[in-house]
Amino acid sequence: MRARDSLVLALPKGRILKEVMPIVKGAGIEPEPAFYDPLARQLRFSTNTVGLDIIRVRSFDVATFVAFGAAHIGVAGNDVLMEFNYPDIYTPLDLDVGHCRLSVAGPREMIDTDDPAAWSSIRIATKYPGLTKRHFALRGVQAECIKLNGAIELAPNLGLCRRIVDLVSTGSTLEANGLIEIEKICDITSRLTINRTAWKTRPTEINGYLRDFRGGLK
Amino acid sequence: MTENQATALLPPGTSDVLPPDAAFEAAQLERIIKHFSTFGYERINPPLFEFEETLLSGLGKAISQDTFRLMDPLSQRMLALRSDMTPQLARIATSRLANQPRPLRLSYAGQVIRVRGSHARPERQFAQVGVELIGADLPNADAEVISMAVDGLTKLGIKEVSVDLTIPTLVPAYCASLNLNKDTTSLIRDALNKKDVAGIVSLSGRLGPEAAKTLSIMLNAVGPANSIMATLSNLQLDHVPDIERESLSAVIEAIRFVAPNLSLTVDASENRGFEYHSGVSYSFFAKNVRGELGRGGRYQTRAPNGSEEPSTGLTLFMDTVIKALPRPEIEPQAFHPVGQKTNDANKFRDQGWRVINGLSEVKDIEAEARRMKCTHLIRGSKIYKID
Repeated sequence: MRARDSLVLALPKGRILKEVMPIVKGAGIEPEPAFYDPLARQLRFSTNTVGLDIIRVRSFDVATFVAFGAAHIGVAGNDVLMEFNYPDIYTPLDLDVGHCRLSVAGPREMIDTDDPAAWSSIRIATKYPGLTKRHFALRGVQAECIKLNGAIELAPNLGLCRRIVDLVSTGSTLEANGLIEIEKICDITSRLTINRTAWKTRPTEINGYLRDFRGGLK
Repeated sequence: MTENQATALLPPGTSDVLPPDAAFEAAQLERIIKHFSTFGYERINPPLFEFEETLLSGLGKAISQDTFRLMDPLSQRMLALRSDMTPQLARIATSRLANQPRPLRLSYAGQVIRVRGSHARPERQFAQVGVELIGADLPNADAEVISMAVDGLTKLGIKEVSVDLTIPTLVPAYCASLNLNKDTTSLIRDALNKKDVAGIVSLSGRLGPEAAKTLSIMLNAVGPANSIMATLSNLQLDHVPDIERESLSAVIEAIRFVAPNLSLTVDASENRGFEYHSGVSYSFFAKNVRGELGRGGRYQTRAPNGSEEPSTGLTLFMDTVIKALPRPEIEPQAFHPVGQKTNDANKFRDQGWRVINGLSEVKDIEAEARRMKCTHLIRGSKIYKID
């Protein structure tokens, strides 16, 4: 049985989870064994801490769960946070994992002849249409975004559009697809996120977990 | 069928409030207004729209982006539909009620309309209920409106109401004391709005380690009032930011005096949503209710001649308040069939019953009463409960 007003910690599936789990454990939080079972159909897991449950969702959904208060604490990259720009999410702790950068890239042969100062509108394939639009609007360029959910690097070669905005960690995927990084938009790390209302209505519990996570970083 | 359903489509952010919710919301709204009136707050009712330059000048500037405009075919001038009632109250207080004695206590209730909702409050039309206490910048004034509102919400049946206090002028005063340029100040503002600690760390080159540390402490200063005020009191602040800190602690003391058991939290760096506020501000929360029930704070009214009056006031968002309450219970109602010797329906109505008239003869009166959602049946001069 779980308490009706348990706090919920949302963790992202996939690559980041491996890097985040040592911090979660360092904070003294240990999920039930089913959490580690890749075949488990369960989505919500209890922990060794009474009153704290963990959910495992897609990284984009962590932000949404936390923004709407369905989860109270979460781990999300600032790429996702910037994309949604939810006002009800606070990010008081940089977990210093999941390092990569968000960049604009395009085909090698385009770079030499292109003059970015002359752009008024450009077409860009990306997982991050909101962030991309805002980034280019700041310099007076209307970005027309084509939202893709993966394999963004294919877009220029197949003629979908010439430029992309995507996460880059080593740059080898770009290279393999004949693309060059044109501009870094920002560095990315994973952040501990907290729902605004939760922090204000349950400050003692939330501040306790914040302290634990800070401890888990060391 | 499909065609009929399609005509029922409403614009995003709007909804039809149906029985019994519409009556319930209206009743709760009246209860709150009545509660405010027991403290001497008198109701006023401004129009739904005003000339754009009137509504959006002064306090209204801050809500300009939320506000619908339309062209007035009569005067050929631009009109703005109110998206917040406080600027209207401030206007009335400094014009038509300028000669009334201060402090002036006013209340209001009405619908407001916004160009867009936020993700947490997608509603583009909802009811605001609020009060303004005009011409007083004393901690006792803040304590009066805050404890009055909490009392009112609790009387409606909302449990575990808490108040989150903030001082949106603290960070700007602190930044000003550091002599930072506008650019850096706005980056700090941005990072603090999201409580994005990495944002402050990335600025530490420009700020110096001391200021970056102070700002990180302010960023994390969220929690129970006593412990946060203790944290803040350890900060070394110049004269002007220190005044802001002191005014927050004076308000907390005043609230503790009138409402010793009230759950108070402090957030030292909150600024968003307090665009026209000029001092201690607050939001109302309830445990397990998503989003805030209302908000308020200190502001300056500005008369046409330029004179200013310190004021404080708050607004409750009725849609969130209603969501925080248990669903209304189904009220008993009686069925009065046709064809009886005497008509006693009005006699029961006078006693407070809701009585539905039968309009034609039916075979099974009890079944008809149940179909009409009646719990009781009137036969002659008697009323009895239907099983």
